[in-house]
Amino acid sequence: MPAGKIDYSKIKPYGDTLNDGMTQLSFTLPIPCDEKGIEAAKQLAAKMGFEEPSVVHAKDLGVGYTYFILYGKCKHTVNYEVIKVVKVETGVMSRKEVEAYILENLKKDIVILGACTGSDAHTVGIDAIMNMKGYDGHYGLERYKGIDALNMGSQVENEELIAKAIELKADAILVSQIVTQKDVHVNNLTNLVELMEAEGIRDDIILICGGPRINHELAKELGYDAGFGPGTYAEDVASFVVNEMVARRRK
Amino acid sequence: MKLVDLIYNKYKIISVVGMSKNAGKTVTLNYLIEKFDEIGAVIGITSTGRDGEKLDIVTKTEKPTIFVMENTIIASAKETLLRSNAKLEILEITNSRTSLGEVVIARVKRSGYVEIAGPETNTQIKDIANRMIEYGAEIVILDGAINRKTAAAPTISEATILATGAALSRDMNNVIEETVFQVELYSLEVIEEGVSKLGLSKRFKDKEFIIIDNEGKSEFINITTTLSSGRVIGEAINGDSKYMVLSGSIVYKTFEDIISVAENYKDVIYIVQDATKIFVSSREWKILKKKGIAIRVMNRINLLAVTVNPYSPYGYNFDAKDFLHTLEKRLPNIAVIDVMEGENADN
Repeated sequence: MPAGKIDYSKIKPYGDTLNDGMTQLSFTLPIPCDEKGIEAAKQLAAKMGFEEPSVVHAKDLGVGYTYFILYGKCKHTVNYEVIKVVKVETGVMSRKEVEAYILENLKKDIVILGACTGSDAHTVGIDAIMNMKGYDGHYGLERYKGIDALNMGSQVENEELIAKAIELKADAILVSQIVTQKDVHVNNLTNLVELMEAEGIRDDIILICGGPRINHELAKELGYDAGFGPGTYAEDVASFVVNEMVARRRK
Repeated sequence: MKLVDLIYNKYKIISVVGMSKNAGKTVTLNYLIEKFDEIGAVIGITSTGRDGEKLDIVTKTEKPTIFVMENTIIASAKETLLRSNAKLEILEITNSRTSLGEVVIARVKRSGYVEIAGPETNTQIKDIANRMIEYGAEIVILDGAINRKTAAAPTISEATILATGAALSRDMNNVIEETVFQVELYSLEVIEEGVSKLGLSKRFKDKEFIIIDNEGKSEFINITTTLSSGRVIGEAINGDSKYMVLSGSIVYKTFEDIISVAENYKDVIYIVQDATKIFVSSREWKILKKKGIAIRVMNRINLLAVTVNPYSPYGYNFDAKDFLHTLEKRLPNIAVIDVMEGENADN
C-alpha cells in the first residue's frame, strides 16, 4: 500500500492525483447517438454521483442504442478501516495433504458433485475447481486420490443435480453461479436448498456455492454451508469439505 | 381477532416466510416483536438466513433493522452477535455451525439492535427452537430467508405467516396472482381419515413411495426420489390404482412423465407430506389442474395471515390501499395485514 497521508477512513478513486476521484465508466443507453444522447449520458452520470461528467466516446450500436464512455469525479468515499469481510476460515491443505487426510480420517472415498445450475452456462469457475487439469497450476478435484469428482457441466436443472446426488450418495455439492441483481439467480440457488430440504437430504450433504459475486455471508443467507468467490482453487474447496465432514462426525 | 391473539398460548413455534427477497419478512417480524411486547410475551427469534443487517448484500439496498426487547431469546451465529448493540447473556453455544460461526443462544439483557443469522438446516432450526423454548421463550419466531419457505412445513413450525410485497414484481397483478397461488398451495385439501390411518407419517419419515389400489392393497415403488423418476412412478399405475404416496419433493417434470406413460393417471390421488414439498410454478399448477392431477397433503400448513408490503426497494411502489384490498378480496378466508399501517380494521 502506498505510504503517506492517505486517509483510510475516506477512500476515493485516484486518477492523476490523490483523492481527485477520477473515474472512467461506460454504459449503453437505448437512445440515438447524438447531442441529446450525450447530454442524457452526462445527466445520468451526475445522478450517479460524478462531478464534472464528460463523455469522451459515444458509439452508435445500431437499432437506436448508443455506447458511452465517460470521465467524472466521484464525490463519494468509503471508510476502508471499518470494512470487515468474512472468509472461510478452514486452514487450507495442499492436494497431498487432503489426500492423506481423507485416508486417515474418513477412510473412504468421498463423492463431490459439481454443476452450473439453471440457465447458467459459465463453466469456467466449476471447470477450474473440478477438472483434472485444474487452473493456474492448481490441479482440479478430479485429480485427487480419495475424491470421486463428477462435473455435470452447465445448465443443469436443480432436480437433475439432486437426483444424481441421491443416486451417488454425494458427500458434497458444488454449485457455480453468477449471481446478478436479477432475482432469477438467487432464486435458483435458494430453490436448490429448498428441494434438498424437501428431499430430506440437506443435513447429509455439504452444500457449497461459488462464483464471481459469491462470498461467505451471501452463502449464509442463501442457506449454503460455504461460499467461495474469485481466487479460489480446488484445494480451498477440498480442505473445507474434508474438515467439515470430520467436524460433523464428531457431533 | 388480532394476529398475536391468534398465536399466543396456541402455538409455540411459528414461521415467517416470504414470497421473495425484500417482501417484508423483517417488517413483519418487527411488527410481531412490537405486538408481543405489548402483551408482555417472551419471544424467541432465529432466522434461516440473515436478518437485521443494514444493507442487502446482493442489491446493496437498505433493509429494516431488528430491535429486540429485554428478555427476548435469540439464536444467531457468533459473527452477527458481535455486531449487535443489544446487551446479551450467552446461554449456550450450540454445535450448529454456519459460515458466520457457531449458532449461539442468548438472552437479551438490555434492548437494542441485533442482526440474526440462525442455523443452516431445518432439522437444526427445529432443535434450536426447542432449546429456546426450554430457556423460557413462549413463542419462537422462525424468520425465513429470501424466498425460502420450507420452514413453513408443519414438521418444523406449527403455524405460518406469509409475507408478500411489491419487491416480487413490478406488476401488482402478478404479485397478487403469485400470492394467491401460494395460499392455494398452503390450503391444499388434507387426505381423508381412512387413508391417513395407513401409517402415512411413518411412510413419509422412511421416505417410501407406495401405490395403493381400490382394495387397499399397497405396493412399494423401488425409487429413492421422485426426481427424474416420473416414468417409473407412471408405470406403476394401472386401472385399479387409487392413491400414490410420494415422499420428498415433487416437481412439474415428474408429473409430465407420469402423464406421458400412465393412461389412468387421472384416477389416482397423489399424496405428499405437505405443501412445502411441492415445487411447481403457478403456470405449471394450472396445467396440472387442467389435466386432472389431484394432489392431497398429509399435513396442512396452518397459515395465519398474509402480510403485504406495498414498497419495493427497487424504486417503485404500489398503491397501498388498492394492493391490500385487492388481496383481501382474493383471499376471503385469510387475514391480510399491511404491517406498516397496522391492523386498523379488526377482523
